[in-house]
Amino acid sequence: MKFVQFILKRLLHSILVLFGLSVLIFVIARVIPGDPARMALGPRTPEEVVEKFREDLHLNDPIHIQYYHWIKGALQGDFGYSILTKRSVSTDIKEFFPATLELMLLTGIIMSVGGILLGIASARHANKWVDNTVRVLSYFGVCTPAYVFAILFLLIFGYLLNILPTIGRLSPWLDHPPVVTGLITVDSLLAGNFEAFWDGFKHLIMPSVALALGPMAQEARITRSSMADNLQRDFIALERSQAIPERRIMSRFLLRISIIPTVSVLGLDFASQLGWAFLVELIFNWPGLSRYGIQVMLNKDLNGITAVIMVIGLMFLVVNIIVDIIVSGLDPRIRLGAERSQ
Amino acid sequence: MKKIVLISLVFCLLSAFVVYAGGKQEEPAKPAAEEAPAMEAEEVVRELRVTFSWPTYIDPAVGSDFSSSSSFVNLYDTLVYPTPDGGVKPNVAESWETSADGLTWTFNLRKDVKFHDGSMLTAHDVKFTMDRLTTIGEGYAYMYGAVESTDVVDDYTVQFNLSKTYGPFLTTLVRLYILNEELVMANAKSDGMYGDKGDYGKEWLLTHDAGSGPYKVKDMRLEEYLLMEKFQDYWGYFAPKAPDLVKFIGTTEAVTVRTMMSRRELEIADQWQSLEAQKSLQQIDGVDIATMSYGTMFYFMMHTRKAPTDDIHFRKALAYALDYDTVVEKIFPGAIIAEGPVSPGYPGHWKDYPKSERNLDKAMAELKKSKYYGKLDQYPVEIHWIAEVPDEEKVALLALSNFSEIGVKAEVVKVPWLSVVEEMGNQDQSPNIVTVFVAPHYPEAGSMLESRFHSTSAPTWQQNEWLLDPKLDAMIEDAIETIDMKERYAKYAEIQKALAEIEPSLNLFEQAQKHPYFASYVDWPATTGDKIPVMGYDFAANVIQVHTERK
Repeated sequence: MKFVQFILKRLLHSILVLFGLSVLIFVIARVIPGDPARMALGPRTPEEVVEKFREDLHLNDPIHIQYYHWIKGALQGDFGYSILTKRSVSTDIKEFFPATLELMLLTGIIMSVGGILLGIASARHANKWVDNTVRVLSYFGVCTPAYVFAILFLLIFGYLLNILPTIGRLSPWLDHPPVVTGLITVDSLLAGNFEAFWDGFKHLIMPSVALALGPMAQEARITRSSMADNLQRDFIALERSQAIPERRIMSRFLLRISIIPTVSVLGLDFASQLGWAFLVELIFNWPGLSRYGIQVMLNKDLNGITAVIMVIGLMFLVVNIIVDIIVSGLDPRIRLGAERSQ
Repeated sequence: MKKIVLISLVFCLLSAFVVYAGGKQEEPAKPAAEEAPAMEAEEVVRELRVTFSWPTYIDPAVGSDFSSSSSFVNLYDTLVYPTPDGGVKPNVAESWETSADGLTWTFNLRKDVKFHDGSMLTAHDVKFTMDRLTTIGEGYAYMYGAVESTDVVDDYTVQFNLSKTYGPFLTTLVRLYILNEELVMANAKSDGMYGDKGDYGKEWLLTHDAGSGPYKVKDMRLEEYLLMEKFQDYWGYFAPKAPDLVKFIGTTEAVTVRTMMSRRELEIADQWQSLEAQKSLQQIDGVDIATMSYGTMFYFMMHTRKAPTDDIHFRKALAYALDYDTVVEKIFPGAIIAEGPVSPGYPGHWKDYPKSERNLDKAMAELKKSKYYGKLDQYPVEIHWIAEVPDEEKVALLALSNFSEIGVKAEVVKVPWLSVVEEMGNQDQSPNIVTVFVAPHYPEAGSMLESRFHSTSAPTWQQNEWLLDPKLDAMIEDAIETIDMKERYAKYAEIQKALAEIEPSLNLFEQAQKHPYFASYVDWPATTGDKIPVMGYDFAANVIQVHTERK
């Protein structure tokens, strides 16, 4: 019951946040210089055609009327017309979001598993060569932008070693599997096409690892730091005094409470990729939402800009809810704290 | 010790997994039978892959940029086809006549042109195409403002009725890409902006074609690529080793292009590679640089109604001060120094237009005649360059240095394209100078003269000069309405003479588009002198040969 109340409360908060975000981004998008209608139709299109286009998109209406038209459509799943792709923004989102989501999922797995394992290893061997190596590598990881890794991987694995594909989601000689989720790996498995699955997975490796390294380094540092702090706690000393194996202390008792800050940051990093990934998508010619987002901004595609920002905002909200649920599961005191406050 | 061994073992296993499972990235020797076009047993599938700047609109009523135009020439046919000398030759239209008053153009069509769905191309499709283009009003529609109506005389005769004479009309028909009416309307959404025509098939044509050209759409992924396959029933010509598959890839990232070319996954690279990237690509065995021009000119557009560039002598002083040789030798190597606002190779160019040259003595002489001489400190010149084209900054900084040699103070300002378009739409906000590339839309001087200097273009990014000169407008309109070609070109020359008198812009150079490509196994007519001066036509894949056996 408490859990249901928690979810409902968070959903209500999310709706309010999304509403506020939509108003903010709606206004900001219109501050960007440029006439979107003229930009979409080119300089030689007759003014009457441009004017009709402006009227069809409600660009001549007062901003609050424009917002009314937009929110009315958005509530029905229609985010308007994209002047960049010349079709419905909803269709764009449906096509491009799964590509970025697929990238994000593998990136999320790599950065969470890698970050936590490295953090544990580093904490367990604090101030020894393992710890020092992980810390030095973490500095590089945190300081180096993802696109630098992307370029390096492309040159090493795509060019020098020639063992991984360079661009796109699937090799040109393979047919795309029937779309169910939009994730090529999943759709291929559902269709029983293992060749396409493996090919799609290989296409994911370089961009995912490039995106994952920075956050992975950060999470390793946070995990290490948190575990190192908690290692000094009384209950650890108690467990050691009771001859509980060190491995069990680390994995069962220490990790559980130490991982909370990591999970929180992991959630933010995961959601942030929707915005960060555009350079990596550009380098690998990945047809994702992040790249689409930059293009709509550069072309002042008002509907596209608003929709992309809303999707990113929604992603943050959903991920935060999931993180809160996980954290409350990891630390009973947080759950208890919520109950006591009632 | 155990742990080190364990970690090492895991690392080795993972590496072996990646290396083995990844393997060398090679295409299978033979594609799946259902994918490859019908070929003899020993022949391989020839592929031509080209990178382009995206997005690409394959709807002929929507797109007008380079990648879109390059796709049109492969997917569609036109009534007439451009020739290397700037003229046109019969294509779908076998012959044509013009009425004495120049207001009616009648075209007789071939009877053997098949669309990709197997139906035959008729005059109804031509009428539909023109009606659709002018109704939608986007893309190249602006070129047909004089077309009042289109009539179907019979299945293979179509007539265009103009509201006024339009000299370049025949030339502009290289941009009328003929669509299959039945197919388009069968796929049009009923809910759209165009009344009973619904959306006029716009959404469907984003990812499909309705053409009769040498290639048809096999797969179109909006953010990724356009894949076209050979149309076996094409009525026209295929070079013996023309590609079976043509792929336009939407990326211009230098690292990506370099990697793809190194792996022989790309035959022709885009023109947006930097000088350094081009040099790097040339080091790949077999790669050479193809240079081509489509009449695109680079200007310093000077505001003729804002101090100090409102003074004709001041403008002429700047024109004499700029170091054009350094621009074309160091910053944009391969570019051709301008001889006026129109490309020297274009029909209608005035051959006696003074070539842009640096002469500091003449610059000072002109400056001394200017009303701002002696007060130059009070009138700095603002030069705005487009942020998305980094090399423009170099030109702007060179100009700053050159102008300072004659005592003119300049400020160089980096401006994003969106802001440039906005400021150039307002006379008060437009700066003294904007550096812009402008491309002609049909292969005649009139295209550039109209789009650059007529009053209708003043509030657009194609003109910062704000000439607003009714006399010049009348000259341009009169020239364009002249049917007789020689007479029309003579009028173009008069317009250029008038422009030379007032020097509204610095004409720096004609852009040389450079495409790194595999000369070792790609025979590209555009590299051997048969360049067609209409954007996109050099990428007609049916005349390009890919010698896969030489790869």
